[in-house]
This record gives sequence, structure tokens and C-alpha cells, in this order.
Amino acid sequence: MLSFQPDRSQYPQPGPDGRLEVDLETGKYLKLWQGPNHPGITGNMSVELTVCGDEVVEGKTHVGYLHRGFEKLMERRTFIQVFPIVCRVCVPEPDFNEYCYAAAVEELAGIEVPEMATWMRTLILEMGRFNSYMMFLGGISGSLGLGLVGQWMTYVRDLMLDRFEELTGARIYHMFILPGGVRGHLPEGFAARMEEVLQTAEKYLADVDRVMFSNSVFRLRTEGVGVIDPALFERFGVTGPNARAGGVVKDVRKDSPYLVYDQLDFIPASGKDSDIFTRVKVRRADIDNSIGLIRQILEKMPKSGPVMARLPNVLHWKIPRGETYIKGECSRGEYGYYMVTDGSGYPRRINVRGPSYTHAMALLEHLIPGTNISDVAALMVSLHTYPPEIER
Amino acid sequence: MSLREVLTPFTAWKHVLDAPVTIPDPIGREAAERYRGFHQNDMETCIGCGTCEAICQNGAIDMVPVEGQVTEKGDSGLRPMIDYGRCCWCALCVDVCMTGSLTMSNEYTWVDTDPDAFRFIPGLEEPWKDKEAGYRREGGRELSGTKRSHMGELAPALRGDNFSEICAGFTREEAILEADRCVECGLCVATCPAHMSIPDYIAAVRDQDYDRGLQLLYETNPFSEVCGRICTHKCETSCAALHEGDPIAIRWLKRHIIDNVPMERRLELVGGAKPANGHRVAIVGAGPGGLTAAYDLAREGCAVTVFEALAAPGGMMRYGIPEYRLPYDALDRDVAVIQAMGVEIRCNMRVGRDIALDDLKRDHDAVILAIGLQMGRGTRIPGSEGPGVEKAVDLLRRITAGEDVPVPERVVVIGGGNVAFDIARSMARLQKATHGTVGVTLTALEDRAHFLADAEELIEGAEEGVEIIDKRGPQEVMRDASGAVTGLRSWAVTSIFDDQGRFAPAYDQADERVHEGAMVIEAIGQMADVSLLGAELTEALDWNRGRIAIDAGFRTSEPWLFAVGDAVKGPDVINAVADGHRVAQSVMERVSLQEGIS
Amino acid sequence: MSEANKAKLSNKASVREIFETATEFERVAHAFYSALIPNVSKNIRWLVEELAEEELEHVELFTKLSQDPGVEAVMSAEIARPVADGRFSDCVHTPDLGIDPDDQAVLQYALMRESAAMDQYTELAESTPPGPLKDAFMFLANEETKHKAELEKIYYEIVHSGGV
Repeated sequence: MLSFQPDRSQYPQPGPDGRLEVDLETGKYLKLWQGPNHPGITGNMSVELTVCGDEVVEGKTHVGYLHRGFEKLMERRTFIQVFPIVCRVCVPEPDFNEYCYAAAVEELAGIEVPEMATWMRTLILEMGRFNSYMMFLGGISGSLGLGLVGQWMTYVRDLMLDRFEELTGARIYHMFILPGGVRGHLPEGFAARMEEVLQTAEKYLADVDRVMFSNSVFRLRTEGVGVIDPALFERFGVTGPNARAGGVVKDVRKDSPYLVYDQLDFIPASGKDSDIFTRVKVRRADIDNSIGLIRQILEKMPKSGPVMARLPNVLHWKIPRGETYIKGECSRGEYGYYMVTDGSGYPRRINVRGPSYTHAMALLEHLIPGTNISDVAALMVSLHTYPPEIER
Repeated sequence: MSLREVLTPFTAWKHVLDAPVTIPDPIGREAAERYRGFHQNDMETCIGCGTCEAICQNGAIDMVPVEGQVTEKGDSGLRPMIDYGRCCWCALCVDVCMTGSLTMSNEYTWVDTDPDAFRFIPGLEEPWKDKEAGYRREGGRELSGTKRSHMGELAPALRGDNFSEICAGFTREEAILEADRCVECGLCVATCPAHMSIPDYIAAVRDQDYDRGLQLLYETNPFSEVCGRICTHKCETSCAALHEGDPIAIRWLKRHIIDNVPMERRLELVGGAKPANGHRVAIVGAGPGGLTAAYDLAREGCAVTVFEALAAPGGMMRYGIPEYRLPYDALDRDVAVIQAMGVEIRCNMRVGRDIALDDLKRDHDAVILAIGLQMGRGTRIPGSEGPGVEKAVDLLRRITAGEDVPVPERVVVIGGGNVAFDIARSMARLQKATHGTVGVTLTALEDRAHFLADAEELIEGAEEGVEIIDKRGPQEVMRDASGAVTGLRSWAVTSIFDDQGRFAPAYDQADERVHEGAMVIEAIGQMADVSLLGAELTEALDWNRGRIAIDAGFRTSEPWLFAVGDAVKGPDVINAVADGHRVAQSVMERVSLQEGIS
Repeated sequence: MSEANKAKLSNKASVREIFETATEFERVAHAFYSALIPNVSKNIRWLVEELAEEELEHVELFTKLSQDPGVEAVMSAEIARPVADGRFSDCVHTPDLGIDPDDQAVLQYALMRESAAMDQYTELAESTPPGPLKDAFMFLANEETKHKAELEKIYYEIVHSGGV
């Protein structure tokens, strides 16, 4: 439901190739760049908007501002040397890269990971998901002018970073999940300190519910906006909360369980309106899932046991010819590593499948036309976009 | 839209009076116990192996010389310098460290106006040098193997009465596993007297490229088959892996390469000699030093003749080392490659008896003495003259030559070195085959911890029934009225060296024992038989405390005469090989010089 | 039994007597090693040369002492005859090491001499009244001890060579 109804007869007509023929000379249209340096953009990308009045006629996504060539760098590093760089592919939720890479190496090299390590990995991934959602909530509220939630969530995220720090030895790039297992056990008293954090988080999240979901402004700006046409789900490989908010209940943790998810109880959150509001709601419910999962893991995981498998000498580790695709459910959807080995000491090819690639680069272009300029930022954030994973 | 949804957001105002959650001054906030902060390095434990440098994917680590750190056996003397402009604190360097010297403190703030300060050598004077908290790898070294690969051996019961080779050598699977453990630091290369390309040939095993491996071996050692079995493998005592685990079985990997290349292929790979250059070189003694020199010189195109006093070439490798350690055919293959280079070995030609040294001098451009230490030393204690007392080297030589040696039911060996064990274990085998039982008592001055013999000799000797008694000083060989040996009388040794480490044996005369035996074998030391030189040359030559004086190039004071091997330097095969190469080089320099003059 | 031998059996001796035996001991040793030098093979000549040189220094020390009036004053004093004296005096007679003796034989003889001299001088230093002579004996005792240790090291290196 848009409050503003433009005169669409004024719009340019698509040419034979389906693209709009915009004649800027007419003065009817304006090119407007949102990003790459813009608070409404979740990182280093930009959207080139063509507007007519307040309404966006066309939006083209531009990436390349953050290209670091990780996939190529990986091909020039030994299997162990790839380990420290994969986390950098996605800054806010780096652990999925560590897990997917390690699991791919383990599968191709035939290494069995100790049970303790699989529990630790699951814990790390849920902690990472929690933190990723903390950033999301801050982002989506901020893009609608509600800065307060961002401040609260930054604090809660920081408490979780403290837990990351004591568990992994680092706050952002944890470099904790390496091929063969993980680097260490839980520190003494970790579960109790984690519980404190979760309870603090729950307190703040209750406040978030009040200021966001019980907020008429937030509802007006997000309900019915940025609806994804069901036909686009399949076409653009939409996964994760974006799909679940449209009634497509997909969750890799349930559909093809990895690590210890088959031993954990949770119901993936879903909705059906597929608008910004529903997507945020689904994520909010998923945070509760993560909190519950962290509690379950800490309760059910073994209390002792090895965390590392025997590795061959990593300095000249060669992995037989093979290929594999390892996937997992990250906070944005399906995250995956496709890896090809050729029997040498280096990966022949690694392709990182980050969900932001399809969601924010391709799908976004189809969602933008017809929206108000001021909604573009919220629309993009609602897809939960992390530009670093677009540019690997 | 209800009124509730307009008002509810205002509940956020309740936080207005909350205390701020931010830390006002974050500087000095202590990081977590296992935080990966700035590096620390224990300079004394670090061996400068450079494994940290090898694994660093950022290229942030350089191995650099550091004042106060000396290059010595098993320590390159270099230490890691870390560039914090590159480091990503992944701690792989800590995980891979071979000694556990490299760790990380939990310190994470460092302010400096000099950008170069952030390229630093941990372990010198950084403020967090001794900080306890920080990242330590959990559970020891895991990124490279710590346990030595299994190798098949003949069980004591199966080897006690025969001279079959004990060690089976690695299978391919075992060898690959063992080769995988090497971190290619190269500390072994510096220790090996011949500086063999150890990490490279181990890599060849990993790659299953035995041709390449063999070529690498022959670059530095024509006695790889021998050394692959009986080398004193000092390389393994400087291996980085020994600090947290077993050293790499370098010797067995060398043997594994040789064992996997058929003889015809070996000859093909080694290739032929250069065209003849017209120079003639005589070498006295076909041991490892002489034959290595012969190999090099022949490959350079010299006509080389080796004069060997005994019936077959090999020197101590054949006549000293028992067959169960080094089968004769293994030695024969190494010698055959050398002969294939055109080296002529004339056996049963004792210089001084069958041919004069002067003749060699006259007919050749240069003569190399490689005569070894063929004469056994005796204790000269009372009763040690006469029948029933033997020198170990003499007996070993006779056993190899196939001569009958007396095998009494009880034998006493004096000495704690490898030669003592060689003869003790050889006699044990002969006793077992002749009498069905073993009766060998080995007595040594040293205590068990300081035996000069390899540790495995003590273990295997005991397994074969040799009674090993340490800390005994021989006093008298006991004889009965007829003069027949009945045993060895000894005193307990209370100390063998004085506080400055000098030999000064002290005995407890009250602790006297008689070790029963009808034969006493002395295995305390050897000397060179220099009688072949003749009085005139002996007088003309320079000497250095009993040995022929040589310079760094193994030249004696006589320009035509060179000397190499145990007789001038010692103490083992690999040293003789290394010196053989050097003397060959000196000889080549001399003959090329002569060429220039004429 | 000769008078000299009888005197040796008594447990007292004059300082002069002891002094003369010691001088003779060192002189004979020097002469013995000096004479041996040309008779051994060149490869072990260094050993005999070192020994002769060592003994010569001791002879020179005694010559100097005999001209010291302080020493002359105590010459007729009686002191306890050292227990090691018999072994020491025997060393005045040089052995026959045969033609061209080897290094081990020379070393064994030298070791035996050094051992006897070390014991003799140690005891003498203890029983001689304070003065230049006591100092000399103490110096010699110390010298011989060091010398013996050095010879034992050489013995180990040479005879126990290549203990492989």
C-alpha cells in the first residue's frame, strides 16, 4: 500500500531488450546514486537509481568496491594457509566460511572430525548467527530512522563478542574452526557467562519488540513494501529468511542437517506476506531460535574429548583429486563452498556461494522499481545484504 | 493502526536513567586468557627452524640473525622477525612451531610513532615478553606428525644364531608416512658432514619419485646404500621434530630410496664419467674415503687405481661392520657403481709389501692415503699378552673373511663403543650357532648413559643375550696354570672423568669382580698402520699429534700426497665420504695446475 | 742389603737426601726422554718432546733452588720419609722400552712416573717446614697433578680413539 501514487503513464517504455529507455534530457528523470558511501547501504556497494519524482523507476546494483579476490588468493595458498583468510570473505558472520571450508577439506581429504569438535562448531555458528541478526536489527531500524535499536543491539552484540573472545581468542575474525576440528575446548565457566549474555539479550529484545513491531511508524513503512513475487524465489535462488518470509519454508539445518542439528530441537520461523515487515519478523523469531539452540548445545554437548583430528603434515598436505559442495544455513540463507582439488597441495578452485549475491545484486533490481526513494535503503537491508560475500 | 502502537515505542524512555554500558577508557582493558595478541618467543627454546616462516600465509615472518644467538648444531641461529603490517594473528605459526617456543600474549595495544617498530623480533625486549596470559596451542604439536613410522625388524629369536640383516627397511606406505613428517627446515643438512640434500630427497619419497631421490643421493654420497643402513645419522640429532616427538628417520628414508631403484636404473641415473683427461691418481685403501675420492675423480675423467690390502673392497664397511647390520651385497652395489665409473680396484695389494709407495708416486700425478684405522689397541693390562686375548677388529676381519675363529662358550669383551658391540653380538651369534647358548659379557668403563655405542646397540645386544656390565675397569686377564685364559678381573669405576671432563678414571678397588671367559676381546680403540710410509717419508712428512698433518684440502706436507679418512680425521663413514669429496677436489686442483704448467 | 737401601727403609731422611733424589729424578727423566726422541718414529715424537720439555722445566727449578740460601739452611734437617718414596726412587732407574716404542708404551711409562712424582711431592710438601723448599714442593705437587691429568686425557684420546 503506497501512500504516494505517481502517474505511471509518464514512465519510459522498455525497449526490445526489456531495458528502459530513459531520456534524461527531458528533465523528467533524475539519476540518483545511493552509495557506495551512504548510511543506508550495508557496506561497500551502490544502487544507481533512476527516479521520477519520489518514485524509483529503475535501480541498478553496482558492486566491485570491495573486491579482494579471495577465491583467487585461495588457489595460491596451501590447504592450511587458506584457513586464516576464508573468514574475511564475510565480516559480520565469518564463521560460516571457516566451517564450510574446513568441512570441504575434511570431506575431500577423508578426515573424520571428533564429535566434540562438531558440537563446538555448531555452537560457534549459532553464536555467529545471533551476532549477525544483532547487526541486522540495528541496520533495518537505522535505515528507517530508528537509531536506538542499533545502539542496543551493538551492546548486546558486544557481549557476545566477549564470549567469542574468551572461546576463540579473537572478537571478529575468530579463526577457530580449522580443518580437522577446532582449536580448543570451552573455557571454565563459559556456559554460565553465556547464559548471562542470553538473558541480557532477551531483556533488550523485549524492548526491541515494543519499539519496532508495536510501532505504527515502523509498520507503515514496512508492511506491503518490497514484496517478492513468488515467481522470483525459484528464479533467483532465494533462500533463508527471505524465502521463509514468503512461505517457502527452507532451512538447510532442517532439510539436510549438518554438524549436530539433527540432535537439536527448533522450528524454523516463517511467514507469508513476503514484505519487509515479515522478513524482519522472521529474523526476529530466528534470534529466539538461536538463543534456544545455544542453550541446548551447551547442555547437550559432551563435557570432554578431543577437538582435533590427526592431520597429515600441513606443510605439504596434498589432497586427492575431487570436488564437493558444502552448504549450511547462515543468517542470510544458504551459504556454500564449492571446492575442486586436483591432487596437488593447493585447491584448484574454490567458489563461495554467499546468499547476498543473488539477493542483493540480482533480486534487488527487480524489487526496486515502483518504490519510494526513501524505502530503498530499508528494502536492501531487509534482504540482509553483506557486500563482502558478493565480492569474493 | 491502534493508539497502542503509537504509544508503545515510548517505553524506550525507561532506559534514560540507566548507567551507560560503554567502557569510558578502553585502553588497558585486559583481553581474554587465550586472546591471540602480540607474539612472544622463548629465544633459548627456539631453534630457528623457520617453520613459522614457511606456514605464514601473509609472508609476515622473516628469519633473521639476532645478536647473541649462535648458529650451532640443531640451531640455525636465526629467529623470527614479525611484520605487524602483514600479520593477521591467525597463530598458525604458534600451532606449527616445532619446539613450542613461539606463543602469543593477550596484549593488544601498542602505540608508536615509528612505523618500523612494528617489524620486531619477539623475545628481545617487548613489554609483554614474560606475560603469562595469551594464546598457547592446546595439546602440543598437531600440524605435523610426532611419531616415527613403524619399520619391520627380525625378532631376537629369529636373528640370534645367524647374520641375516635385522632391519627390513620401510615399506612404501611406511616411508610415505615418515617422509610426511619432515618440515623441511634443513637443520639436518648443516649437521650432515656430507651436507646431503635431506629435505629434498625426503620430498622425493613423499612424491614417490625414487629416480629424483636417487639422483639427489648421488650428488653428495656414493655410499648411500651403506649410509642408509649404518650411518651414525648425526642429522637425526639436530632434527627439528625431536623437540616434541621422534626425529625423522632420515637414515631409513635414504635406504628406502636406494632399495626402490633397481641396479640397472641406478647406473642409468648416475650416468657416465667425463672423457678421460689423462691424469692418473692412485688411492691407497678401498674404504669409504678412498672410494668416494675415486668416484669423484673418475667422474672427472681421471684414471683412478685403488690399492686394497685385503681381498675385497670396502675397508671397515666390509671387515668391521657385521653382516647383520650391513649385508655385503648392499656394499657391493655401492662399490659396483663406483667401479662403473672406470675406477680400478686392485685387491690383495698391500702397499709397502706388494707394491712400494714410491712406485705409486712415480706412476701417478697424485696419491691419496685412505688407510683407515685398521689396528686394534690393547689395554696392556697384566695377562693381556698371549693366546686367548684378541683385538676386536682382528676378529671381525677374520669373521668377514670366512676364517675359522675360536668360539669358546664364554667370552669377555672390553669396550663400550659400537665396535665392542659389533664383536660381542657377532660372537653371540657364533656361540648360539655352535653351542646353542650365548655367553658374552661386555664390560665398559663408561656408565650406561655414556656408552659411546648407539642406544639401539645396547637394546639389541641385550635382546640377543649379551650381558652388559657398565662401569668396570679392566685390571688383569686371568690365566690358569697352563696359561689358558679363565677370565677378566675388573674394578668398579667410581668416576671416569674429572670435573673438567678430562679422562681420569677412579676405581673402587674393594669392588673387584672376575668375569669368567675363555677369551678376552679388547675393543677399546684403533690406530692407523703407517708403516707403509717407510722411515724416509715418515721423517719427511709433517705430523700433527700422531696423525699425518693435513690442511683443509687434505694435502699433506708432500705436494703429491694427500690423506683422508679415519687415519687423519675420523670418525665414521659419512665423514669419510664428505672428506673424500674434498680431497678429490684438492687433487683435481693439483692436476689441473700441473696441466697449466706443462 | 746396601746401606743406601737400608737408609731408604728408615722413616726419616734429611732434606738434602730428599732434594738430591728429586733432582736426580727430574734430571734422569729429562735425559731419558731426550735420548728417546730420535729413537721413536716421527709420528709419536711430539709426545716424547713434550714430555722432555716438561721435565727440563723441573730440572731448572731444582737448579735454581739449590742456589737459594734459604734452601741451603734447611738441607740438613730431618723430615719424615714419604711413603711413596720407594716407588719414586725406583723411577730414577729408567726402563728399557725397547727399540722404537709406540705411543701407548711411552704414555704408560710417563703416567706411572707422574703418578709416583705426584704422590712424592704431595707428601713432601706436607712434611717440609715452611720456606722456599716447601713452596717448591707444593708447586711441583701441583704441577705433577696437572701433568698427570693432561697425560691421562692424551691417553684416552690416543688409545681409546675411534671408540665407534
